[in-house]
Amino acid sequence: METYDAVVIGGGVIGTSIAYRLAETRHVLLVEKTDIGAQTSGACDKAIFLQSKKPGFPIKLAKASRQIYENLEEELETSIEFHKGGGMIVIEDEDHIEFMESFVKKQQKAGIDVTLLDSKEARSIQPSLAEYIVGATYSKEDAEVNPLKLSQAFAQAAKRRGVDIRTHTEVIDIDIQNGKVVGVKTTSGYIATELVVNAGGPFAGKIAEMAGVGLTIMPRRGVILISEKINPMIFGNILCSQYIAAKHQTDEENKKKPPYGIGLSLGQTKSGNLLIGGSREFKGFQKAINDEILAAIARHATRIAPAIKPIRIIRSMVGFRPYTGDGLPIIDKVEGVEGFVIAAGHEGDGIALAPITGKLVVSLVENRKEDQSLLKPLQFKRLKAV
Amino acid sequence: MNDMIICRCEDVTLGELISHIENGSQTVKSLKLQTRAGMGICQGRTCRVLVEQVMTYYADESNIISSSVGTNFPIRPIRLAELAQNGKGDP
Repeated sequence: METYDAVVIGGGVIGTSIAYRLAETRHVLLVEKTDIGAQTSGACDKAIFLQSKKPGFPIKLAKASRQIYENLEEELETSIEFHKGGGMIVIEDEDHIEFMESFVKKQQKAGIDVTLLDSKEARSIQPSLAEYIVGATYSKEDAEVNPLKLSQAFAQAAKRRGVDIRTHTEVIDIDIQNGKVVGVKTTSGYIATELVVNAGGPFAGKIAEMAGVGLTIMPRRGVILISEKINPMIFGNILCSQYIAAKHQTDEENKKKPPYGIGLSLGQTKSGNLLIGGSREFKGFQKAINDEILAAIARHATRIAPAIKPIRIIRSMVGFRPYTGDGLPIIDKVEGVEGFVIAAGHEGDGIALAPITGKLVVSLVENRKEDQSLLKPLQFKRLKAV
Repeated sequence: MNDMIICRCEDVTLGELISHIENGSQTVKSLKLQTRAGMGICQGRTCRVLVEQVMTYYADESNIISSSVGTNFPIRPIRLAELAQNGKGDP
């Protein structure tokens, strides 16, 4: 019978990051039902935004993760196209000025280097923007990374540490005896282990069910357009204040909510493609989209950045972001099921938070004291107590 | 022969594909995610059959897993200005 110290379920940015860190002291197996980084982590944008996070704990968590990015390429011994290109949130609507002003003040208080620019200043940094925009917030601390390379880099570094990676392998059941994890049944056989980490992203609920744990993580569908390769014309990442409103306000507060939950997220990859997002919808795992969503994203983006109008779109991608309900992931042990850890529910912040998630899971299973302030707000029970 | 370019849009050579297959890639999607083969302007319309052939030729048959590398919208490149005119109303 095969035996491992730990089995990580899910080979996206989160699972590969966790497997890499756990492998420092453990013999780890990573089980992935398709390919590494092929689902949510392969259908997302590339931004590592700090200024878009909610002031308070979410900023603190994002900063801790951003710090790890500083030396991550060196650590993983490969390029992940990490680039400190800065980030901007465009304010289109006078109505959003007040909300964004108070948002910037809170971000500055939280120690984020962010400033409010007028329309002319914003366009001098980002010449593709429309003249009518009211202004923008700007931060040099925002960065970007290639998410495809990130998953592969974590996976390769994990392999070098002795992690076995089994792709195209599904977990069918989690074997629990006397309240303790003793193994997992997979499509390629039984694995004995006392530690299972559920990094299943939008599929984490299904995995938890196998351990008899009720976990509600909903797939929130996001669509992104990809353009042909062009010379550099977008510098750093651009969001619009509608995106922030959609992310942080309730439906009641955000009355002018556009269809499909559209908010701009625009950036250009190192290879020259524009990534143009995006929508936010609850549609189950329905991958088929109608062309009206694509048109709506194109309209929103070309209104804010008219210079991209002649650029050709070559494809679109559909991703399912794991939604917990309060914008934060769950990183916690499960009471009553010893050896079962949940690390999922990062929604649209998986890329930004992948580095810290691996470290936090290690802290959690080693019962280390130093990261308690980061782990406490990510406890499972905060969501169960409804 | 390893220098032969298979994906012209993204400059992916036969040698790169073979090395990923030897490293355990079992699907065309996995090759795509690691090398960008099929991610260029033609979206694999030119190279897809070649990449599939490389996979069947160099991989152990029992290891190959057929996967759909879906061709997503749009079916051919379309300018943002034209795409934006699809449907009506402003979001």
